[in-house]
Amino acid sequence: MALSMMESNNRLIYNDAGQGPVQHQFSPYTDNGGSIVAIGGPGFAIIASDTRLTSGFAIYTREQGKLHSLTNAAVLGASGCWCDVLSLTRLIQARMKLYKHEHQKDMSAAALAQMLSTMLYGRRFFPYYVSNVIAGLDEEGNGVVYSYDPVGHCDKNMYHAGGSSGALLQPLLDSQIGLKNMAIKPTAPLTVEKALQITKDVFTSAAERDIKCGDGVIIRIITKDGIREETFKLRFD
Amino acid sequence: MSILAYNGGAVVGMKGNGCVAIASDKRFGIQLQTIGLDFDKIFEVGPKIYMGIPGLATDTQTVNQRMKFRTNLYELKENRPVSPKVLSAMISNLLYEHRFGPYFVEPIVVGLDGNNEPYISTFDSIGCVSEPEDFVAAGTCDDQLFGMCEALWKPNMNPDELFEAVSQALVNACDRDAISGWGAKVYVIEKDKVTIRNLRTRMD
Amino acid sequence: MNSEGGVRSFDSFATSLPKGERRNPITHTQAPVTTGTSIIAFEYDGGILMAADMLGSYGSLARYRSVPRLLKVNDKTVIGCMGDYADFQYLQAIIEQMEVDEACKDDGFQTTARSLHSWLTRVLYNKRCKFDPLWTTFVVAGLDQDKPFLGFVDKLGTAYTDPIITTGYASMLATPLIRKAVEDKLKDKNEKLTLAEARKVIEDSLTLMYYRDARASNKYQIAIIPSNGEASIIEEPKTLLGDWSVAHLIK
Repeated sequence: MALSMMESNNRLIYNDAGQGPVQHQFSPYTDNGGSIVAIGGPGFAIIASDTRLTSGFAIYTREQGKLHSLTNAAVLGASGCWCDVLSLTRLIQARMKLYKHEHQKDMSAAALAQMLSTMLYGRRFFPYYVSNVIAGLDEEGNGVVYSYDPVGHCDKNMYHAGGSSGALLQPLLDSQIGLKNMAIKPTAPLTVEKALQITKDVFTSAAERDIKCGDGVIIRIITKDGIREETFKLRFD
Repeated sequence: MSILAYNGGAVVGMKGNGCVAIASDKRFGIQLQTIGLDFDKIFEVGPKIYMGIPGLATDTQTVNQRMKFRTNLYELKENRPVSPKVLSAMISNLLYEHRFGPYFVEPIVVGLDGNNEPYISTFDSIGCVSEPEDFVAAGTCDDQLFGMCEALWKPNMNPDELFEAVSQALVNACDRDAISGWGAKVYVIEKDKVTIRNLRTRMD
Repeated sequence: MNSEGGVRSFDSFATSLPKGERRNPITHTQAPVTTGTSIIAFEYDGGILMAADMLGSYGSLARYRSVPRLLKVNDKTVIGCMGDYADFQYLQAIIEQMEVDEACKDDGFQTTARSLHSWLTRVLYNKRCKFDPLWTTFVVAGLDQDKPFLGFVDKLGTAYTDPIITTGYASMLATPLIRKAVEDKLKDKNEKLTLAEARKVIEDSLTLMYYRDARASNKYQIAIIPSNGEASIIEEPKTLLGDWSVAHLIK
């Protein structure tokens, strides 16, 4: 329409000459990407995120991890609308302090999982646009993974892939960790080394196909001895 | 929801060493309601050439029939069989002829060419071709398929390895898609034979 | 509008209400009005350099040609603003008052860049939650415990820190220039850019913005936030001329 002209009442109307203000529509949400993988096993849990923060085709920064250590036995991975991630994680930190002062102990992974669910549902009609995954240790010291939808539906799993590469990664975890569709299943229990290797492999795969995933991976390994961190490079184009 | 996802379904193709494979699910549905469990999305074009057409089921069949017409005419006129590359060009032409009212399909072609070299190609719904050197995936769970293929594919797989890779990719991908699955069909194409296997999968 | 008045004149309804009960619709900012374009900022060897041009655009009209878009908050903190200039001035007034209040306590403390960045994050996020955003993107530069701090916040409250921050068209045009300069120096000599080199890069970036961004102008300011304890400064405005030697080809 930019160059077309319309004639009415013998007056030329140029459609490209401002016939009124151009309206911007304000959207409170944006997708800043980010992918999370969490795996629980006997005596350990690992959770990993990529380190790329994006906006559309732009890369804001290549060094923004999306893991938030909550306690010595639980780490939250959160990605999606980054401003909601920031607000939600701060609120969680505050709620955890209140809990600690009231009960004289850290929140358990199960308590955190329930709290996050109610916090998300509290914003049911203006949701936090965040994909959350909590990895931690249960009362017996074994790995657990809790995954959420943006409005607080909570699911307890042994493994989960969330965020922008969730669809690419989840079937891989089904196959490699969940041992789905296998005629002969390995009997040995999952080890930290194996879980780490799979995590690195799946992120490398996702970085090939998901433009919002790349630059690097931060992995946190949760055991009864505390939380250990590893980093791993991804393609950064 | 997109019209491309009205019936559901997915197709994947992979190159191996002197062999290619193509596989699809067998579901036919209308949105979330499953109607049939033996719906073909892969069609034989020549003895060593197959095309997979995921997308809107009516267009799957129409595009197949139109391609059948065009390949028949080609073989009568030229007195030689279509090669995978020629088939790709013909599909691209057919799709682009409908540039402003497209068939809602995203076909893929796999086959062995005249020298029995593996060939694969993939198209968008208006005929943009791509000829990758590893694998092709299309359909309602293409994200899942890309994730699987990216991890499972490796160069120079033999027919058995290729069958395993393509099957695992398809089945695990379909299990994470509500509108794909309900059985799968895998074709492994070698220079002297084509092996067709029907896979049993989760039926939910 | 309707010269007959009466029946279809909706505003007569509003004025017929008693004064106290006049109900106006709640209005929200839906679009920026007078706007500033890109901000460019990055770390160099001895601190942070930040630059912005001085144009206040009114749509496509270059309406205000000498408005400062950099604000010195205190000796250790400078902010730059892209987006709606009125929203910037609104926050500027609040921030300056906060600094006065802080100075009155005379306890030797001053707002750090990190805390101002965090504060802006909350202000902008709360406004976006009310669907009444401050249509701005801020770059906060300063020192946090003598270490350079460079942060970004947009109208939603999206925030991050990075050694190189550019907004708007500069993120597409200037970032590659800056990254190349920083990475080349690091590769060749394993050193960061000196102030002189950083200034050259930022001036090249501003020239590029002047050439290619239709909402940029050639009058600009540079802010220097040194990490050696000296006070940060916003330099006097400068004007760049650019290279128009190709102009003879245009008739």
